[in-house]
Amino acid sequence: MKKIVLPGDLISEGDEYTPNTYTEGGKIFSAVAGMCTEDNRVVPLEGSWTARTGDIVIGTVTNVGRNGTYEVELEHFMKGMLMDKFGRTTFIAGDVVEAIVERVENRRTVILTKPRRLHGGTVIEVKPSKIPRIIGKNNSMIKQISEITKSNIVAGENGIVWIKGGDTGLAVSAVQEIERSAHISGLTDIIQEMLLNKGN
Amino acid sequence: MGAIDIIKSMHVRDLIVEGKREDGRGLMDFRKIKVETNLFENAEGSAMVDLGGTRVLAGIKMDVETPMKDTKDMGNFMVASELLPLAYSEYEAGPPNPESIELARVTDRGIRAGECINLKKLFIEEGKVWSVFADIYVLNYDGNLFDASALAVMSALSTTKVPKYEDGKVVREDRSASLKLDNFTVSTTFAKINGRIAIDPTGNEEGALSSRLTISNDGKVVRAVQKGISGGWKEDEVYDAIGASLEKYKELRSHIPKVR
Amino acid sequence: MGSSADKPKLIINGKRVDGRGFSEMRPMKIEAGVLKNADGSAYLEQGKNRILAAVFGPKEATPRHMAKADRAIIKCRYAMAPFSSLSEHGRSGPNRRAVEIAKVIREVFENVVILEDFPGSQIDISIEVLQGDGGTRAAGITAAAVALANAGIPMKDIVYGISTGRIDEHIILDLDMIEDNFSDADIPVAVSPRNNEILLLQMDGGMTKEQFKEAIGMVMESGKTISKIQRDALLEVYRKEEKRHEKNKKQ
Repeated sequence: MKKIVLPGDLISEGDEYTPNTYTEGGKIFSAVAGMCTEDNRVVPLEGSWTARTGDIVIGTVTNVGRNGTYEVELEHFMKGMLMDKFGRTTFIAGDVVEAIVERVENRRTVILTKPRRLHGGTVIEVKPSKIPRIIGKNNSMIKQISEITKSNIVAGENGIVWIKGGDTGLAVSAVQEIERSAHISGLTDIIQEMLLNKGN
Repeated sequence: MGAIDIIKSMHVRDLIVEGKREDGRGLMDFRKIKVETNLFENAEGSAMVDLGGTRVLAGIKMDVETPMKDTKDMGNFMVASELLPLAYSEYEAGPPNPESIELARVTDRGIRAGECINLKKLFIEEGKVWSVFADIYVLNYDGNLFDASALAVMSALSTTKVPKYEDGKVVREDRSASLKLDNFTVSTTFAKINGRIAIDPTGNEEGALSSRLTISNDGKVVRAVQKGISGGWKEDEVYDAIGASLEKYKELRSHIPKVR
Repeated sequence: MGSSADKPKLIINGKRVDGRGFSEMRPMKIEAGVLKNADGSAYLEQGKNRILAAVFGPKEATPRHMAKADRAIIKCRYAMAPFSSLSEHGRSGPNRRAVEIAKVIREVFENVVILEDFPGSQIDISIEVLQGDGGTRAAGITAAAVALANAGIPMKDIVYGISTGRIDEHIILDLDMIEDNFSDADIPVAVSPRNNEILLLQMDGGMTKEQFKEAIGMVMESGKTISKIQRDALLEVYRKEEKRHEKNKKQ
């Protein structure tokens, strides 16, 4: 059974570090409001994004440097830096890009790679902790929303979701419903029903 | 404005060309309005207004003071506003900035010009008058602070109880008399976005607008106007906005509690 | 402290002016997640106190030179609304008292927030007293702790605050404004319940060591109640959605 834990709640005995916990006196405690899984992992329900290699993010180009480097605003306290030396695309300030985290440098800068420009559409900000749920297992959730709304959707781990075409309003509603209900089981069915009933 | 906000405002500009808005409203529709009053017993009056995602609080305090030199037979009405840092990530603590001063002054003007409070009735005795302080506290920003603040201050004033003044002392525990209001004004704000005009702009729409027009009226005549941001207005556009503003009076007035 | 000449009778027949027992706190209610733009927020009512707390961050530290390379910094604001008191209209914005209170509150949270997780960043805590009736700094801490957890800021514990003090020979808990004005001692306290460490302690007045012990004992005892109210507020955010979906299913 998954259960909701809060900061300071005992998770287990031991002293090995797992994300979203801290250890004190030979015990592991939760550091956040989250779901505690059966194998004593804490999956946060709130909080900001922690950059990991391989994460897909969405940001805005804010500065164009030399040799295909670009500064990217990720709506995060760390700045994004896009290195696309051999890329064929060039970007200008204001472009919305999807990119992959290559590594984090000096705990300050997120080095990005494999950029793709996202033309038009709109973006919404959601709690980064809810992005895995918005994507779903093997992209199942996002695929479902895309198919029914006919919208093109990209979800960035940094909490930015890009939506273009189709029934944009309905897609936005679905994403926001998942954000509110991330801790609820059977969410795929709930969202499907919502989408088929046009949001009612 | 963050980089992401620019994308949102571009989307707003694209939508409005087709006569659409991000929340599906018509161009001349207000968002959902909720007004709560009498929230704080320490204040003489209070109201909280939810205008869509915008949340504004107004508190009224009344003190006995010496009158201004040039208006010795009149009380005072003062409006101040704070864009609290908790309302929006871009608001910072510190001395009042031009935006919050404009908000307070435009709210003040709509109510003062509408002669809602009869300042002569705030006269107590030679050298003693009531001062009415209205403080606007912005708790959550999602556009159109002008209309939300006007509604909050009007609602707070309409539920304001005047403390007893006895033997040269203010007795706040005894507040039986209501502050009598002679008139009611409402505020309506129009945004010009990509050449189209929409009422009650959201935060994203305010990021996209070229110009703004705030019109206060009392259901009969226009009482105050404030044009903001650099874009211009054609004569006919102003007349249309005035017409639309007067048409909105009834709807907005229905949210202000009746004085008992 | 008021002068003893105009001190009203604060204890009558073994009860306090509002009818409470010595160790009885005022009714407390907290709601989490009340503001949309903030990353985390909480609204607290405690007797006549009405307090709003909100958290933004971690965000980029400004000005840049304030940033610490190895950890996040906390910025804290505490302010009383101009309409918050029963007496005359107040000045807006934080005064000297408020600046000191904000500093000691910041230090409370620097103890429990895991600052090392976000080097170079800044976490903003805002506490707005909409209506004050004694014990607002302690209540502000109780609310801010819920706002921090609601924002998902990693921390070791959910801190609570409450005030204690003395009237004549009686030690009392959770002083309201009248008691605060005329008490013989007033002690705001904040505690980390996981280890009962005291993170905020201020006092003015006079207390013997024994009286101090009794007062702190009362605080620790009340912590069980306050912690439960804080936890329920945080859990209610999720329970509310569960109830909504259950209702939808039935229809």
